[in-house]
Amino acid sequence: MDFDLNDDQRAILEAVEALLEQHAGAARAIELQPKGEYDASLDAALADAGFSDVGRDPDMGGLEATLVVEAVARAGGVVAIGAEAMVAPMLRDEPLPTPIALATAGHGGAVRYAASARSLLVLGDREARWVALEPGDCAPVRSNFGYPMGRVSAEGTTRGDGLGVGSAARLHTAWQLAIAAEAVGCMEAALAQTVGYLKERRQFGRAIGSFQAVQHRLAECAIHVEGSRWLVREAAYQRAPTEGVATAAAFALSAAGRIFSEMHQLSGAIGFTREHDLHVWSMRLQALRLELGGVAAHRRAIVAARWGGVGS
Amino acid sequence: MEFDWSEGDASHREEVRAFLSEELPDDWEEISKDGPGGDRQAAFSKHFCGRMAERGWLTQHWPSEYGGRDATSWRHAIVGEEMWAIGEPRGAQYMNVNWIGPAIMQYGTEEQKAFHLPRISAGGVLWCQGFSEPEAGSDLVALRTQALRVGDEYVINGSKIWTSYCNHAEFIILLVRTDPQSTRHRGISVLLVAMDTPGIEIREIPSVVGERYFHEVFFTDVHVPTSALLGDENQGWGVVSYALQYERAGAARYARAAVTLDRLAEIARERGLLDDPMVVDRLGEARALCEAARVLSYKVIDLRAKGSPPTADTQLARVLGTTCDTAIGTLALELMGPEALEYGSFADANFRLAMTAGVAVGATEVQLNLIASRFLGLPKE
Repeated sequence: MDFDLNDDQRAILEAVEALLEQHAGAARAIELQPKGEYDASLDAALADAGFSDVGRDPDMGGLEATLVVEAVARAGGVVAIGAEAMVAPMLRDEPLPTPIALATAGHGGAVRYAASARSLLVLGDREARWVALEPGDCAPVRSNFGYPMGRVSAEGTTRGDGLGVGSAARLHTAWQLAIAAEAVGCMEAALAQTVGYLKERRQFGRAIGSFQAVQHRLAECAIHVEGSRWLVREAAYQRAPTEGVATAAAFALSAAGRIFSEMHQLSGAIGFTREHDLHVWSMRLQALRLELGGVAAHRRAIVAARWGGVGS
Repeated sequence: MEFDWSEGDASHREEVRAFLSEELPDDWEEISKDGPGGDRQAAFSKHFCGRMAERGWLTQHWPSEYGGRDATSWRHAIVGEEMWAIGEPRGAQYMNVNWIGPAIMQYGTEEQKAFHLPRISAGGVLWCQGFSEPEAGSDLVALRTQALRVGDEYVINGSKIWTSYCNHAEFIILLVRTDPQSTRHRGISVLLVAMDTPGIEIREIPSVVGERYFHEVFFTDVHVPTSALLGDENQGWGVVSYALQYERAGAARYARAAVTLDRLAEIARERGLLDDPMVVDRLGEARALCEAARVLSYKVIDLRAKGSPPTADTQLARVLGTTCDTAIGTLALELMGPEALEYGSFADANFRLAMTAGVAVGATEVQLNLIASRFLGLPKE
């Protein structure tokens, strides 16, 4: 057991944060929002520097990819880094054309990044499939939930190459962990942003963050963010075991609901505006909470993996 | 970052489990139903800790010069998890080995070390802690029990409250005010006092938690030699802060909660309750809580293993451990239904142990205050 970053991990984290400092951040996310644009230049910068592929490096792996995804989420990056760094390497040895979107067969609704994606990984009942998307497969969908969204045509989710026996389970687990890692980054940034604001914002002659009623709620949130972070990292280190991943996802996405409500409540009216950064992370948390059946499905997956006896 | 056990640690856990299954009697569940303070469990703990001591495990994390084996914090944490998970057969002695012994090592005189440490290490002595008072609970520095120096003695007057295990204890680690003019943190000292000293009286405070759980301890003109002083006179707050940094991470409540939950899930399956999505949801939620509490506790153990100074990670782990214990105690009642109402039943015994979690060793609200100031850097008023 060792909770400290090793030298390689520290180097990766410092380098990706330096890159994000230059290419990402809340202001950049807000700039891209009106047109629902994908941040192609950030995606290219992450790929060129090798961060998108860190999960394929034989000397690195899932934990390093998780650190990258957490960092990109903290910086509000508008790129499909979870799918690229944490999911695709679990399914195919060769890199897929990017951006990559993730969809469940037979489910309609908006899909993150689908409108700009060149690859679609589809979770089917028995098998996962890779679809090379063509123009017209996906239409942009207007959404308030922090990500560029698209709708995949029915034809788009049924085409493509099957990825073999066991691929559905691998896609499900990797996707679940990627959602959780992204939620950790968003929660951390939302909490830090709100704590910073509440240290400055004064009412009744004192900083709002000095009221004990407020402090206790923020402290509870911090506990849930930290618990999420370490469960996600532990599961990533352990090569994504089914039960461990379900546990991390259940805890993190449940925490995400708490963080969303508490940060908005404690931020007051300004928290709902696009002139204040909170929404960059908070709205995304709700989107992440809806993927793969949400918290109830993650909890059911824990019970199925640990004790059996339920259909998952 | 690494999240796996060394081979040695993994096999140590197996050894401890094998030892437990050998040493615990068939009626262990009955013995432990009143908790570590119960008469039968207290008596059993002396036998059991003696057996652990024979193996060299009881104080294996102590330095070898004090009868330990210089084992890592991880080894000791594994023992803590396994013991707490099964109902703490060490009884009150977990306090001796976790922090009373280490406090004596840090602050004790050669005479105190030579007298107390071998006794603790051998597993035959019970201690209790005299901290809280009627007017000094969460606000411990409001304590008023006095020890006035008269010649080469202290004369103690006052009372302690909520004291667990004192009816069986041979010694008490006692917080007193040695400077009557002092307030708050200054003027406090720590005394190591034999419980059979004349002038000490105990009253049990009946509670819904279990038998022999809470007591009041009265001190009326209790004379002890000045050699009972641990650390410097009037510097006792430093001693107790050192001691509490060990205690605050606290018992491995998540480990017991996880075992309880496994059993609840088994019962739920036998009764066909896993067809109920609400039951499945609650079980999954509870399991995730246990795991999050475990991993946050491991972060604290990692800091301790590296000799790092304590951080607010201790409070994060403690609050989540409390949340998890309480949630599973309550879930046990709800799943078991009216059969939980019988004293000593599985759900009842777990619920009673869990219900004190948010109060014991410092209320959750105090931990949250510390997280707000130390972890989040939020301002005071």
